Amino acid sequence: MILKASNIYKSYKDSDQVIEVLKGASLEVNSGDLICITGKSGCGKSTMLYILGLLDAPDAGELEIAGKIIDSRSNHAHEFRNRDLGFVFQFHYLIEDLTARDNVMLPLLILGKSESQAKKRADELLDYLGLSHRLNRFPNQLSGGEQQRVSLARALANDPKLVLADEPTGNLDPAHSSEVWGMIRNLNKELNQSFVIVTHDHEAAGQANKVFELSEGVLRQTG
Amino acid sequence: MNQLEAFFLKHYIKTPRRNIFKFSFVFMVLGIALSVGILSAGLNLFQGYESNLKKLLLDSFAHINISPIYRDSIDEYSSDEILSIIFQKDGVSSALPLLQSQLMAQVGGKVRAANLMGFKDNANSYYRDYISQGKQEIASGEIIVGHYLAEELALSIGDNLTLMYPRLDQISAFGLHSVTGSFEIVGIYRCGYYENDRSIVICDIDEARDLLNLPIGYTKIHVKLDNPDKAPYYGRDLAQELNNRFTVIPWNYYAESLLRLVKMEKWLIFILFSFLVLIAGINVISAVGTIILDKTDEIAILHTLGAKPKSIKRLFAYRVGIVAVIAVIIGQIFGLLLSWLVEKQGIYKLKGDVYFIDTLTFELSFTNLLVVFFTSTVLIFLCIMIPLKQIQKMQVMDIVRRNY
Ligand SMILES: Nc1ncnc2c1ncn2[C@@H]1O[C@H](COP(=O)(O)OP(=O)(O)OP(=O)(O)O)[C@@H](O)[C@H]1O
Ligand SMILES: [Mg+2]
Repeated sequence: MILKASNIYKSYKDSDQVIEVLKGASLEVNSGDLICITGKSGCGKSTMLYILGLLDAPDAGELEIAGKIIDSRSNHAHEFRNRDLGFVFQFHYLIEDLTARDNVMLPLLILGKSESQAKKRADELLDYLGLSHRLNRFPNQLSGGEQQRVSLARALANDPKLVLADEPTGNLDPAHSSEVWGMIRNLNKELNQSFVIVTHDHEAAGQANKVFELSEGVLRQTG
Repeated sequence: MNQLEAFFLKHYIKTPRRNIFKFSFVFMVLGIALSVGILSAGLNLFQGYESNLKKLLLDSFAHINISPIYRDSIDEYSSDEILSIIFQKDGVSSALPLLQSQLMAQVGGKVRAANLMGFKDNANSYYRDYISQGKQEIASGEIIVGHYLAEELALSIGDNLTLMYPRLDQISAFGLHSVTGSFEIVGIYRCGYYENDRSIVICDIDEARDLLNLPIGYTKIHVKLDNPDKAPYYGRDLAQELNNRFTVIPWNYYAESLLRLVKMEKWLIFILFSFLVLIAGINVISAVGTIILDKTDEIAILHTLGAKPKSIKRLFAYRVGIVAVIAVIIGQIFGLLLSWLVEKQGIYKLKGDVYFIDTLTFELSFTNLLVVFFTSTVLIFLCIMIPLKQIQKMQVMDIVRRNY
């Protein structure tokens, strides 16, 4: 077991009205899982994912990573985000000022790796994702699919236990979309990399080994 | 500095056009450079004033003044005795017996107070360094007059000047009796110390003695030292060796408090002008605020990747810090230029009767350069840190969501 979220509650105060988004959602991720979360727009998928990723704190409920209960507000949350978790967002969120390679190096540098070690690892990963000819390009010189692959490489840089992705292909055309899904599947099969992916794409969700639907604030396994 | 910070710092330096020479920094740099320039110029000029004043005081005054206690003058015999004691000491550069007294200088209907001096040995006398016009030698019937005194009395070389010494011991029903003597001006004395330049008259010692109606002897012995700062020690020793028969007064007694005051004013000016840098700091605060807004995505990414908020803050601090340090250095160069211009300009002159000296000069001191650099840098860095507090409060969630 890599990650376990139990009975997660989360609500937002919107002017005078309280929106209860998550009402006891639970999820368990095991090594090698490729989990997809689907659900209607605005049902709280992103909220759930950010809570799993220690980017947001739940109102109630417990989060366990690698057997340890973690408070996302604690100082250790940074270390877990850096070492054990990788993120891919719908928009690519690459740093515009930095080349593809430099972007991938960031998590390694944050971990404390030397620049040469980080560079070596970044090149390996970008090569694996078929971007060895794009190392020194800046994000605005890359196609959407390429940018998303760089994001994927960056998420994988520190060999995380789990990669969290929020609609990673939501912004891509079908061709690029299936290219990225292909990569994800390969990583899962070849390297046993675990994923939790929020997606609207039911076809893609079919490739997952577990599918959950979020509705009325709880997660139900549907496949 | 951790790996991430080092990496970004290198990145900023390697691609300055993308990160450092940006338009959003222009006003910040301008503000810093201007305020630091004024601060440095103020300090340079005040430093110049302080050094100038001290140099003038020490050059044109005796470092140690020896005068009689019980009588009007030091007789020839005592004078020789004192000189021999003085010259036994190391570090004494000269000792000159002289006659000195206040009297009146008159020409036509104008009368001014003057300070008459007659040196035993004109050839060794230090007034010779300050003759701005005319000759240094004085023969009988000739006189050297301070620059401003001559100016006030509208005199120049070749004119005649009458000295009057009122005899207070001979007041009668007919009024005050005074001894007068007429002299031809042969030289103009100008040392730069206003008080001296508007009062000094120097004539032959024997003629001075006649005018003042004094017996053979001297009213003072002026001692100069190689190191004037040691005057109090020499003074104490001398007083003891002379069995306290004479008053021995080091220059510090008169002038130290003045110099201290000037020094204090210098630092006061410094503190005052430092506030200008703080005002420039307001620009810095808004510039940093703008960059943070501009870079929220970057902050969110780094946060997501697990960088500590402290680290993220430092990245911004370095980036703006580099710009600020460059601006401070530009400001210091500008300050140097400004002080140079002030020295060279002829429009504004110091009022000698208020400030003792009438010329503005600047002095570049290494200490002052460092003090300005560090104070400005620290002040600016404090201003940089203020808006960076926002970073800790930022909700990554909100940033990421904003793009949906
Ligand atoms: N900061 C906030 N303040 C108030 N309401 C919020 C806030 N953040 C999210 N919400 C609300 O919470 C609900 C869940 O949002 P969330 O982004 O998790 O949905 P989602 O399932 O990811 O939607 P989508 O599929 O459109 O991305 C939405 O109704 C949203 O309006
Ligand atoms: Mg969402």
